[in-house]
Amino acid sequence: MKPPFYTRYIIVAAVCLILGAAIVIQMVRINYNTYAQELIVKAQDYQGVTKTIYPERGTIYDRSGHVLATNQIGYELGLELKSVIDPESIAFATANLLEDLNYADIYAIASTEKREIENRYYVLSSYVSKEKIDELERLNENYAQRRAETESTKPSLQGLVWTPMQQRAYPEAELAANVLGFYNYFSRETAQGVYGVEEAYNRLLTGKSQEVYLANDPYLVEVQENIEPGASLVLTIDREIQAMLEETLTEAIEWSDAEGGTIIVADPETGEILGMASTPYFDPNRYWEYQETFPGITPYNRAIGTAYEPGSVFKVITMAAALDSGVADLETTYTDSTGVFWVADSWPIYNWDGGAWGEQDMTGCMQYSLNVCLAHIAIDLLKPDLFYQYVQSFGFGRSTGIDLAGEANYPLRLPQNNQWVELDLATNSFGQGIAVTPIQMVTAITAIANDGRMMTPHVVRSVMSNGQQYNVRPQVINSPISAETAQTLTEMLRIALEEEASNALVSGYSLAGKTGTGEIPTEFGYTSELTNTSFVGWGPTDDPKFVVYVWLEKPTISKWGSEVAAPVFKDVVEKLVVLMNIPPDDIRMGLTNNE
Amino acid sequence: MKKRFLQAYKQAPWRIQIQWIGLFLLGLVLAASIAGLYLNISGQAATTGRRIQNLEYEIGEIQNEIADLTTNLAKEQSVEKMKARAEEMGFKLRDPSTAVYLEIPGFNPADSLVLAPPRVNVLSESPSIRSSYRSSLWDWFVQKIWMSASGSATEGGN
Repeated sequence: MKPPFYTRYIIVAAVCLILGAAIVIQMVRINYNTYAQELIVKAQDYQGVTKTIYPERGTIYDRSGHVLATNQIGYELGLELKSVIDPESIAFATANLLEDLNYADIYAIASTEKREIENRYYVLSSYVSKEKIDELERLNENYAQRRAETESTKPSLQGLVWTPMQQRAYPEAELAANVLGFYNYFSRETAQGVYGVEEAYNRLLTGKSQEVYLANDPYLVEVQENIEPGASLVLTIDREIQAMLEETLTEAIEWSDAEGGTIIVADPETGEILGMASTPYFDPNRYWEYQETFPGITPYNRAIGTAYEPGSVFKVITMAAALDSGVADLETTYTDSTGVFWVADSWPIYNWDGGAWGEQDMTGCMQYSLNVCLAHIAIDLLKPDLFYQYVQSFGFGRSTGIDLAGEANYPLRLPQNNQWVELDLATNSFGQGIAVTPIQMVTAITAIANDGRMMTPHVVRSVMSNGQQYNVRPQVINSPISAETAQTLTEMLRIALEEEASNALVSGYSLAGKTGTGEIPTEFGYTSELTNTSFVGWGPTDDPKFVVYVWLEKPTISKWGSEVAAPVFKDVVEKLVVLMNIPPDDIRMGLTNNE
Repeated sequence: MKKRFLQAYKQAPWRIQIQWIGLFLLGLVLAASIAGLYLNISGQAATTGRRIQNLEYEIGEIQNEIADLTTNLAKEQSVEKMKARAEEMGFKLRDPSTAVYLEIPGFNPADSLVLAPPRVNVLSESPSIRSSYRSSLWDWFVQKIWMSASGSATEGGN
């Protein structure tokens, strides 16, 4: 017998079953619907975003810990078009605040008809300073107050968004910019160091970027992994010396009416570059104006990026080769009876003044900078093989390996090259027909000032990474001459400088050095009246602490290195000994003897 | 007789109803407790998630502020500003000819800047117990099977 209401129960159960089945079928249908995948993707988008986190770029310090390059906050200013309700106010606020933006353009963007249907984001400016954003925030508050008072929706900056991000800052502005290079930070994805330390150490300074998932759903939020900032660098550059060099170079260029110039100060014992000034100067905080400061092929850093015929400063190398190989010594003499030296009976070589200087020993040859004497040494005593062997040992014809981007190198013309003629040997001996960079000359001179050991020039002293400091060890590139030759040559150039009563002498300090006046080749030969004037010197001669190289390009006040570059060298050394705490020789000797 | 016996041991109908209701209520309370616990835990998780988000944001803000302050400090201490300040205070560059040098025994000016501890060679942890002694019997068994299966067993039989 069926219980009462049996049929009714069955009907209710069947209805429930059908409804349940319908729900299940509908669920399955929704999940496998063509729009389902789109919905899933949309849902995932709302859950969070995958973002690339860029670590903070490393700081660059000078050798005493003064900040030369660091990061500061900047803002990206943009428009979320769909949220804009008052284009006039936005255009007014931004055009008044940002000089690069124009009211009409911003208004046109902000009031675009498509803004209702397209949720577009438009970047108005990639980097806006914090001060300007503070002004914008104040204006925004002011507008909010006015809206509350008038109970209207305008004026409003709704839709205008500013996003904080870090930008590169150079607190010293132009100081050492030629060494530092710059960082083009406008686009994070393609940003990189350009020139100088910023380019040479770009990978270390940048650090490792990481892709992280930033969840909007609070249940999925996880603590972000700590991202290590990029490595920081301590340079060998001394801020005070650098500032002094740049100031001195500016004054020298103004005084001599030169086209440009460079001054390098290096420590011969370690190869550390203590200062490197080069014109034109440039503020890397405004790196986008690079083309205006360096039009055409203007090098970013002449000290490493320009090869030129150095003139007589190169005689130091020829004399070093002669003394070290033993083909000449201090007693060797040369009689200049005519003032002309014939190369292969075809090409005459003259002295700088065209005169004949009679019998001279090697010190005299250097003191009076006699071209004929040096040509005689190269052609008759050293001969091509030995001369070029020494020139190459001193590092000419290849890069020095300095840790700066943009080093230039001009290959040597050697006897095995078809274009080489004997005249090249003669002219090379006194620095003509051979192109070198100032840093190559400085590197070669470190061998003479450092008992024959030629040091790798470098500008980075330490690298700080992952909380540890790695100090860069000085490296010997080569020992082209013996310690004895180096000391003999230093003494020879000290005497030459003192007997000549050079403009480079500094009272109280024993210095060795050599002037250089390089003629500038044109397409018709050496026809230009303009010259490259240089001076290279080091001291104190008993224990050299610095090598100073001065190059002034095409001065008009005088064409001679002894009249233009030598006084600049003196200026630099007078200030340098103060900054480096080097007492005059008599005091220093007294202190040393007391030890 | 049989009917009377069963009647003696049968629960009263209202008692059975009470028992069912009690059982249902117990289940309900249990379910409500679990739901409450779940709600509480998920609420806490959500709050913590939000706090993490806020703290991450704050970290970013503070890092930006530190970077900004470092830059401002560096700008205030730049050569140009320091020089101007020194000149204002009546300082001038020392003239080497008039300078007085003193010998200070034992004075050794620091030559290199130390901004971080020097690099330390971290010795890798060398195991004092052979790995075979630390693996479980199961690990050892699986490893042996894997090695024999791949035919790359290189162990010698000595």
